[in-house]
Amino acid sequence: MGKFVDRPKYICAMGGAVATLNALPGVVPILHAAAGCGFNISNAINGGGGYVGSGYCGGQSLPSSNVFEKEIVFGGEGRLEQQILSTMEIAEADIYFVITGCMVEMIGDDAVSVVKRLNKGKRLFAADTGGFRGNSYKGYDIVLSKLFSEYVQTGLEKDERLVNLWGIVPVQDVYWKGNLRVLKKLVEGLGYKVNTFFGEDETLEDLKESSKAILNIVVSDTYGIDAAKTFKEVHDTDYITTDFPIGDHGTARFIKEVGTALGASNEVINALIKKERKRYYGYLERVVDAYSDFDLQRYAVIVGDANYTQGLTRFLSDDLGWLPELVIINDLLEEEQKEFLRRKFSDYESGIKPELVFDTDASSVLKHINRHWEVNKNPRYYDSMTPAFLIGSSFEKETAQKIKAQHLSVMYPVSNRVVLDRAYAGFEGALTLTEDIFSVLLESR
Amino acid sequence: MENRVYNYLNEKAPPVREDRLKACSAFGGSCCALSEGIRKGCLNGTRRQFSQTQGCTLVLSLAILNTVRNAVIVVHGPIGCGGGNIFFAGISKMFKQLRDPKAEGLIWINTNLDEADSISGGEAKLKEAILFAEEEFRPEAIIVVNSCVPAIIGDDVESVAKDLQKRIAAKIVTVHCEGFKSKIMATAYDSVYHGILRNLVIGNEKPQKDFIDDEERYKAELVKSKTVNLLNVSSMSHSDELELKRILEALGLKVRILPCYSTPEDFEEIHEAALNVSICSTHDDYFVGHLKEHYNIPYILETIPIGIENTNKWVLDIAEHFGLRQEAQRLVEYETRELNKALEPYKKALANKTVFLAGGEIRVLATAELLQDLGLEVLGMKGYHFDEFGEKLIPTVKNNDKMVFNIATGQPFEQSNLLKNLKPDVYVGHVGGNVWAAKQGLPVFPIFSQAVNYMGYSGVFEVARRLNRILKNNSFNKNISKHTRLPYYDSWYEEDPFKYIENQGK
Repeated sequence: MGKFVDRPKYICAMGGAVATLNALPGVVPILHAAAGCGFNISNAINGGGGYVGSGYCGGQSLPSSNVFEKEIVFGGEGRLEQQILSTMEIAEADIYFVITGCMVEMIGDDAVSVVKRLNKGKRLFAADTGGFRGNSYKGYDIVLSKLFSEYVQTGLEKDERLVNLWGIVPVQDVYWKGNLRVLKKLVEGLGYKVNTFFGEDETLEDLKESSKAILNIVVSDTYGIDAAKTFKEVHDTDYITTDFPIGDHGTARFIKEVGTALGASNEVINALIKKERKRYYGYLERVVDAYSDFDLQRYAVIVGDANYTQGLTRFLSDDLGWLPELVIINDLLEEEQKEFLRRKFSDYESGIKPELVFDTDASSVLKHINRHWEVNKNPRYYDSMTPAFLIGSSFEKETAQKIKAQHLSVMYPVSNRVVLDRAYAGFEGALTLTEDIFSVLLESR
Repeated sequence: MENRVYNYLNEKAPPVREDRLKACSAFGGSCCALSEGIRKGCLNGTRRQFSQTQGCTLVLSLAILNTVRNAVIVVHGPIGCGGGNIFFAGISKMFKQLRDPKAEGLIWINTNLDEADSISGGEAKLKEAILFAEEEFRPEAIIVVNSCVPAIIGDDVESVAKDLQKRIAAKIVTVHCEGFKSKIMATAYDSVYHGILRNLVIGNEKPQKDFIDDEERYKAELVKSKTVNLLNVSSMSHSDELELKRILEALGLKVRILPCYSTPEDFEEIHEAALNVSICSTHDDYFVGHLKEHYNIPYILETIPIGIENTNKWVLDIAEHFGLRQEAQRLVEYETRELNKALEPYKKALANKTVFLAGGEIRVLATAELLQDLGLEVLGMKGYHFDEFGEKLIPTVKNNDKMVFNIATGQPFEQSNLLKNLKPDVYVGHVGGNVWAAKQGLPVFPIFSQAVNYMGYSGVFEVARRLNRILKNNSFNKNISKHTRLPYYDSWYEEDPFKYIENQGK
C-alpha cells in the first residue's frame, strides 16, 4: 500500500492513457468517466508537458461520457454506448479507444463488454484505466498492452530487419517525440528499420504490423515492461531492456547492447559509435574554452524519474566531468524495481558514487540535500556543496534557489519552458542538453 | 433572489446548483428562448448525447483554494485528482508574492488512493496526509478537498477532520466538491465558501477588543461603518483589485479584499464590515447570502464592474448604500468623460468588427456590453452555464434578439460549428477554448487574465488597447489554420450545432 504524495510528478493511469493515445496518429480517445477527469488531466498534460497543447482531439475536445449522479446510481453503460456512437459520428479517426475512470469502474460498468457488443472490429477498443490502478506510467502500459494484444496483427511473417522500440513515455518524457527520432536514427544506423509508434512519420499501419519485428527494445527498466511481456505472449517476440542513453558513455553502451542483441558485428557497432563520436566531440569541443576559462564544473543534484535520472547522472559524471552528489527518484516503485535501479548508479568511469534516494515528496528534496552534505555551522573554513546545479523539474526551481544552485527543468513537469522537437537522448540530444545547461550557467553574461 | 434563504451551513456540503438555482448547462438557440427557459425552469434537465470533457467542481474549487496563502491543500483521492495543479504551481507563487513578497508557492498533497483503498476506505491515508502537512509545513490552514472516490466508498472526512483538529494547530477546512455530483461547475464556489464559512468564519470571529473609552469605540465603529469586503475572484488580476480599490477609496471607503490571495486568518475579521461587495453574482451569492444571514451585513451582488455602464452602476449601487450618491455621480461622470476621450482612437479602429464571446455567464454578458460600446457587433455568445443571474444581465446587451446563445461548459464542438458559420472577425474566449478558435484562424482575445487589467475604468481602456493590438496581426493563427485541422468530419459543420442537446424543449 502506498502513501500520500506531496506534489506528485505524474497523474493517474487514465492520465497516462490520455497522453499516450493523444500521441498516436489517427486515434481519438473516448473517456468513460466523471466530467472533470479529462479536463484535469489535460491541464496536467499541457501545463507540465512543456506546453504540448491540446493536439488533435485532446484538451477540452476530449470526448467524454461525463457521468453524473444519475449514472452513478443506475449504471453508465447506456450512456457510454451513446457516447461511443456519437463520437464515431462526429469525430474523425482511424481508431477510437475507450478508457475508463475510477467512478465507472467502481459502479461496475464494463466498458470492454460494451465495446465488444458494438462490434466495430479494429476501429474500437477499450481498456480499464481507473485512476486508482496506478499513475501515468501504468496508463501507458495498459494502452500499449491492449493495442499489442488486440490491434497488432497475429500470424505475420517476421521481417529480419525490423525492430520495435518503446519505453519512452509520451508527456512524462517531455521530449518523447524528439528522443524517439534520435533513438530510431541510431538503431537505423545498425541497419534496421524501427517502429517507435509515437515518433515522427509513424503510422497506425506500422503499429498494426509491428508483430513482424524480430526484437522489441524497451528503453527503460521501469516503463513499458508489462507491454513487452504482453507482446511476447501474443506475438512471441523477445524483448530487451536498455538504459535511457544520454551522451557518449550512455549511448555507446546502448548501441553495443542493442547491436549485440541483434547479432550485429563488432565492425558495424564500432563504426557507428565512431561516426557518432566524431560528430559529438566535434561540437562539444567548442565549449572547452568557456568550460576551462570559467571553471564550469559543478556539483549536481538530480531529481526526477527512473529513466532520466539514470541517463543524466551518467552523462554528468562521465561525459561532462561533473560531480553528481545526490540522485532522488520520485516514482512510485516496487521494492524489486528499486533494487534493480540501485545497480544503475554505481558503475561510473569517473569513480563518482552519488547517493541514491527513493522519495516521492517534493518537500523531501531540500531535506535530503541538507542531510547529504553537512550544513554550514559557521566554522571559519567550510567546504560547501558549491557551485551546484540542480537538474529536475519546474518543482525544483524553488529548492534550487534555496541552496543557491542553478537549475534546469528537464523532467516532468516542465512548466517554465516550451518544448517542441527538442531531444536529450543519444549523442545528438546530449549536445542540446549541453547547450541548455551551459546557457543557464552563462545567462548572466 | 431577495427572498432566497441561505441556511445550508448545518449540512456538510451545499446543495448543487441544479437544485438551488435551477441552473442550465446545455442549450442552444435565441436569447428569448433562453430567458424564457430559465424563468420557467425548464432548461434544468438538458443534456448532451455527445459530450466533451469539462471542468468539475473539484477543479474549479482548487482554482480558488490554491490562491489562499499560508495554507496547504490535501486532495483526497486517487493520484490523478488535482493533477491540474501542475499547470498553476509556478504562476501561483508569483501571484501570491504580489500580495506578500515572502509568500510560499503552491503546496498540495494527494492522498494517493489505490485499488485496495477503493474497497477498504481511505481515511487512514487522509489522516497521515493531514498530519504530514501540519508537521512539515506548519500552515495556518489545511484545506481538505474531497474527490469522487472517497465520497463513493463513504470516507467520513468530517469525522477525520474533527478528530485531528484537537491535535493540530492548523485549522482544518473541509471542502466537499466531488465532481460527479453537479454538472454546473460553478457549484464549486458554493462548496468552497461552504467550507470557509463553516471552518474559518462562523465561530472563528476575532474577539472584539476592549475599548478604553467611548471615543475609541466610536472610532472603531466609524471605521467599520466605512469598511467594505470586496470579494475578488481567481480569474481577475492584481491590477483589477488595485483599480477597484482606487474607485472605492475615492468614495472614502476602506476596502478589505477577500477571499483569493488572502490568508486563513483574514476571514476572522470578515464580519467587521458595513457591506459585502461582489463583482460576480455567479461567484458570490452563496457567501454574501450566508453572511447576511449570520451577521446581517447587506450586500451588492448584481453587477460586474466590466465596461463603463456596468462599472458606473456598480459604483452607484455601492455609493447609494453609504448615502454617497452625489459624490459617486460626480466621480462616475468624471471617469466616464476621461475614459471616453482616451477610447476615441480605438473606437475608430474597432468599429463594426464582429465578435463571438465565450466564458462565464456574467463575464460574457458584461464584456459583450463593453465591446458594443467600443463599436463592435456581437454575433453570439456562449456561457459556461446559465441561471437567473445571467438572465438579469441580458437586457444590458443591445440587439440581443439577433444573437445566438450557446450554454456549454467547454464543449468546443458546438462552438467550432458556430464559428465556422458565423465567421466573426474576432473570438473572445476562455482558457482551454481559445485554441480551437485559433486553429480556425480567428484572432483570439482571452476573456480573462490573472496578469492584466480588465475591470473598472482602466480595464476598459486596457481591453480596447489589447484588442486593437491583437487585431493588428493575425498571421500566426491564419498560418496554423491552413496546416492543422479540427477533429470533426466536414459534415459536422453542415449540421445544427445543437443537434446533440436533448430535451431543451425547442
